[in-house]
Amino acid sequence: MIAFEHVGKRYGGRFEALADVNFRLSRGEMVFLTGHSGAGKSSVLKLLTCLERPSRGRIVVAGHDLGQLGSVRIPFYRRQIGVVFQNHQLLFDRTVFDNVALPLLIQGMPASDVARRVRAALDKVGLLHRERALPIELSGGEQQRIGIARAVVHKPALLLADEPTGNLDPQLSADIMRLFEDFNRIGTTVLIASHDLALIARLRHRVLRLKDGRLIADENGS
Amino acid sequence: MSERMSSRRGANQQAPSFLQQRRAWQAHHRQVARDSLIRLRQRPLGTLMTLFAIAVALVLPATLWLLLGGAQVLDRNLEDTAQLTVYLSPSLEEASAREVADKVRQRADVGRVELITAAEGLHQFQASLDLGDALQGLDHNPLPASLVVQPVTRTPEAVAALAMQLRQVNGVDEASADMQWLERLKQLTRLGQRIVLAFGALFALGVLLIVGNTIRLAVENRRDEIEVVTLIGATHAFVRRPFLYSGAWLGLGGGMLALVLLAVGMGWLSSPLSALASSYGTDWELPGLGFEGSLLLLVCSTVLGWLGAWIAVGRHLARMRPR
Repeated sequence: MIAFEHVGKRYGGRFEALADVNFRLSRGEMVFLTGHSGAGKSSVLKLLTCLERPSRGRIVVAGHDLGQLGSVRIPFYRRQIGVVFQNHQLLFDRTVFDNVALPLLIQGMPASDVARRVRAALDKVGLLHRERALPIELSGGEQQRIGIARAVVHKPALLLADEPTGNLDPQLSADIMRLFEDFNRIGTTVLIASHDLALIARLRHRVLRLKDGRLIADENGS
Repeated sequence: MSERMSSRRGANQQAPSFLQQRRAWQAHHRQVARDSLIRLRQRPLGTLMTLFAIAVALVLPATLWLLLGGAQVLDRNLEDTAQLTVYLSPSLEEASAREVADKVRQRADVGRVELITAAEGLHQFQASLDLGDALQGLDHNPLPASLVVQPVTRTPEAVAALAMQLRQVNGVDEASADMQWLERLKQLTRLGQRIVLAFGALFALGVLLIVGNTIRLAVENRRDEIEVVTLIGATHAFVRRPFLYSGAWLGLGGGMLALVLLAVGMGWLSSPLSALASSYGTDWELPGLGFEGSLLLLVCSTVLGWLGAWIAVGRHLARMRPR
């Protein structure tokens, strides 16, 4: 699903965010990406979402070589992945329903299918009853669930998450992680960047550890 | 669960058909058009200021254009009044003068010919200058007989050519067509056209900048939203769409406001202008933009608004390219 081959990323010619990073994710895996802040977790995610391009090496995701992907094709690549952000990035001027519907709207899905899919996604995160609410009326944990619903509403093969439990208490964090495990169980490949080591240790999945832009460990959980 | 449902819920998402996609696309356009209008209404003061700025930028070249159109109508009116004055030799007797008049009258390129005998000429001269008895002391009439000739073709060139030919006629001293000022008016009109064109281009640029700047602010305000939708797979066209509609709405609104301002301004100007025209003996009215002109103005302003928005969003999108 994901292949990093000797990937390096430099900013402004001096600062080296990633150096010679190699790893592979198979379809259907659930993997944590961890390390201190500044270790390169964000860079990996930015490269995977095509926000940035690698300075060196090759990244292949679901058959797409991201370094070679033309800017016209980038949107269509992004539609195949789902992204959960740390601060959930909901749009506060529209309802929960409209937020979750956004990826489908972008893909030009007919309105009838949109409603069905959005309700299915909201149901999965347990917030079907809040579809008419505005994000501001929801708690932090609920907002993050909406963010997840939006990331999976178009049934992406790959789900990326950047510190999805960053601002949540341990109980809520565990709930969120359980959601990711649910999606993983039905076949979605999941990559979660997190520095919540205690939580990661409990969940027993594969862990990629970054330090100063280098991959220093690739541990199998179980 | 019915079989239809389960088949629709296949693990892989089936792509919507072309027809479905087009329908969804149209629905999205309608939605975006409505949303962008609502957004503009949500900040009425800023929108109104932008609309007025656009309207003012449109009114000036439009006014110039109208005045120019008026000048062209005036031009034609004046051509209609074109005539030649042919002065006969002072030595010519009245009978010979009539013969010359008849000869001129037979020409194909000449319309009406009016003979003003020397005596009539003196009489008119006296009357028009209100000289009273001042000319009584003259022992002979210093004025020659003259013909007022109306040419068939009334362009300045044709009139000048006719004057040349009439000068060759026996008994004719001089044929003068006072067309020079008409020629000058034509030159002025031509100059005016260029000025209108230059101003039009300049103010079109102004509209572009006004809308561009407004949309740039809107883009800044919706920065997060743009970032999010881009990250979940929105094409540039999708990101641009609401702003293009906003720009087009602003352009259209500004154009409509400009039409109102023009109508008010023209109403205000028309009575002194027609008074001025009638004092010159022509009955002339300032022509309005008319239906086609108004439509053209609206189309132009809408397109300009759309274009301004395109440029503003394009600059932002260029910054979001992956590095």
